[in-house]
Amino acid sequence: MKIMWTYIVAGLTIFGLMLLVGIGLRASQAGWLPIDTGTFYSLLSLHGVGMITAMAIAGLGLLWYLVDREIKLDERVALLAFAFFAIGVLSVIVSVVFGHFGALWTMLYPLPFVGTTWPAWATGAWLMGVALVMLGFMLICAQLLGAILRQYGGLGSALGVDYVFRRKAFEAAGKHPPKPQIFAATVVSIDGLIGGASGLLVGIAMIAHLLDPHVAIDPLWAKNLTYQFGHTFANLTMYMAVAGIYVALPICTKREYHSSVPLAVAWWGTLVFVIIAYFHHLYMDFVQWPIVQYIGEISSYLAAVPVVVVTVFGGLMLIHRSGMKWTLGSMFFFAGMVGWIVGGSAAILDATIPLNVDLHNTLWVPAHFHTYLLEGVLLFILGWVFVALEQRAGSASNAVVRWIVGLGIFGGGAIFLIPFYVAGAAGVPRRYAVEPAPGPFWAGIATIGALLVLVGVLAALVEGIRLARKPALSVSQ
Amino acid sequence: MGEGPLVLQIFLVVAVLAIAAMLFVVLYGARTPLPQSVVNDAGYRIRKIWLGLVLFVAVVAFAITLPFFPYPWAKASPGAQHFTVTAAQYAFVMPSVIPANVPIVFDVTSQDVNHGFGIYAPDGNLFAQVQAMPDYINHLPIEFHVKGHYTVRCLEFCGIGHAYMHGGFDVR
Repeated sequence: MKIMWTYIVAGLTIFGLMLLVGIGLRASQAGWLPIDTGTFYSLLSLHGVGMITAMAIAGLGLLWYLVDREIKLDERVALLAFAFFAIGVLSVIVSVVFGHFGALWTMLYPLPFVGTTWPAWATGAWLMGVALVMLGFMLICAQLLGAILRQYGGLGSALGVDYVFRRKAFEAAGKHPPKPQIFAATVVSIDGLIGGASGLLVGIAMIAHLLDPHVAIDPLWAKNLTYQFGHTFANLTMYMAVAGIYVALPICTKREYHSSVPLAVAWWGTLVFVIIAYFHHLYMDFVQWPIVQYIGEISSYLAAVPVVVVTVFGGLMLIHRSGMKWTLGSMFFFAGMVGWIVGGSAAILDATIPLNVDLHNTLWVPAHFHTYLLEGVLLFILGWVFVALEQRAGSASNAVVRWIVGLGIFGGGAIFLIPFYVAGAAGVPRRYAVEPAPGPFWAGIATIGALLVLVGVLAALVEGIRLARKPALSVSQ
Repeated sequence: MGEGPLVLQIFLVVAVLAIAAMLFVVLYGARTPLPQSVVNDAGYRIRKIWLGLVLFVAVVAFAITLPFFPYPWAKASPGAQHFTVTAAQYAFVMPSVIPANVPIVFDVTSQDVNHGFGIYAPDGNLFAQVQAMPDYINHLPIEFHVKGHYTVRCLEFCGIGHAYMHGGFDVR
């Protein structure tokens, strides 16, 4: 539990700070807060990498704990990984605050080296910071994967291959498939190691270029690796948090979530599609091999199948007519599934090549991933936190608190997100410090929505502290 | 091309339907709980149909969109007039006049970092785009049927002047 809470509290703290930065950025685009262009892009760089890292740290804490419940893990590895995260985050902050780095978290080569307004050491500090975060992430992935492979005697067993193809013999031998959260951990670990390796490879190439500008890097190669890493890392934050559904929703509904053949096959699909769906980030690079563009669209579509047919469908089946009480914990889990589906729908439209022409690098892109992260990943993390606190205290929040939190995070969230979609559909480009019309109008609406989200988050924080300070329910109770 | 408002409408319909369906599932009969086995029996039957429907929609959507992929036309555009576009921090070097109603290919590259060559129609909608990459030339096939002034904006973050990197041309 100590590791889990350390990671989750650290992740949520970074989230809170990045939320404030994000509100400032939208207020600046609305013309309400004077931020000069250089500072805007430095803060946008910090906001982007900070939010993804925050979700990853919190999600990893949750996943690590769920695996540790099944297979004892060495805490020292998690603490070492946490040290990597801490130093990495510190390095990124130094790069932005003191060096004014502003090439954004995608840092597409050769941007960090051409026409920069910041010193070379800031680029180095940024690259080292991101590399350290990635090393911490990969260390946890390696630990989880190693433990799972040892426990189940190989990858095939960990992924339930015997269970799916030789089910009768498997069950006759008295064997059981891995629990659903173990499938999640296996897939996150494998895809995380692949995505992390891509990120480290392009990062090392860029550090080599920084040290010796004669080191040439192919921009298309760098773009592929950057997005393979970036898309996979961001996407996996969801699958880390999703593991919480399998454990927490059964607690809320007093029902059971078993592994099944569809669940195993769904996770196989996720394993493959998460690492190749990134091609949709390069649709507008016509020099890319056409075959991978086609793969990008169909794999983006198929990545949705396990979500809507197994995980969310299974989650809804658990809740349906279960008599579940609406607490903050259960509310967050349900709302998280809604956010996942809504954000995913927007992502699928954007991943449709003929439509991507109208949406690529417009505000539609942050629209879908803010939905996915704010109303999906974050809510699963908060859901987990509140289910744990409610279980520990043996009581839940009252209706007034639930309404304040709900109106803030869901209602405010909608007011924050809809402007991204409307402006994106109108073709307003993303990552503009000063947006063309109708961007500034919608940025103002979004700022109001984000402030409401802040109110909801603060209310949840106060309520979380209140529940945490209540004496723990004794086992006999 | 210029389908952003239509995409928004499709999205809003899908989002509202999805939210309504999910709320219905969790609220319907909430006060009269059932054993999990009863819910599972019905749920697994529905899931098979749902899986078939989702796969069908995915495959059909892929098939329907295939003819509209821009890549085959980027390679083969016989008889098209070619115009070079060179992007550099923070401007586009390109022709100021483009002919209407004839096949055009923009040969787009960059002198420094990645940029995006985004063409906005006179009505303000995003009409077409392609990336401008250093060391590579992206060929964007296009034909303009509406005369007027088209604005070009950078659609890939390229540095501190990104938001101010724009230009334009007239279609006559």
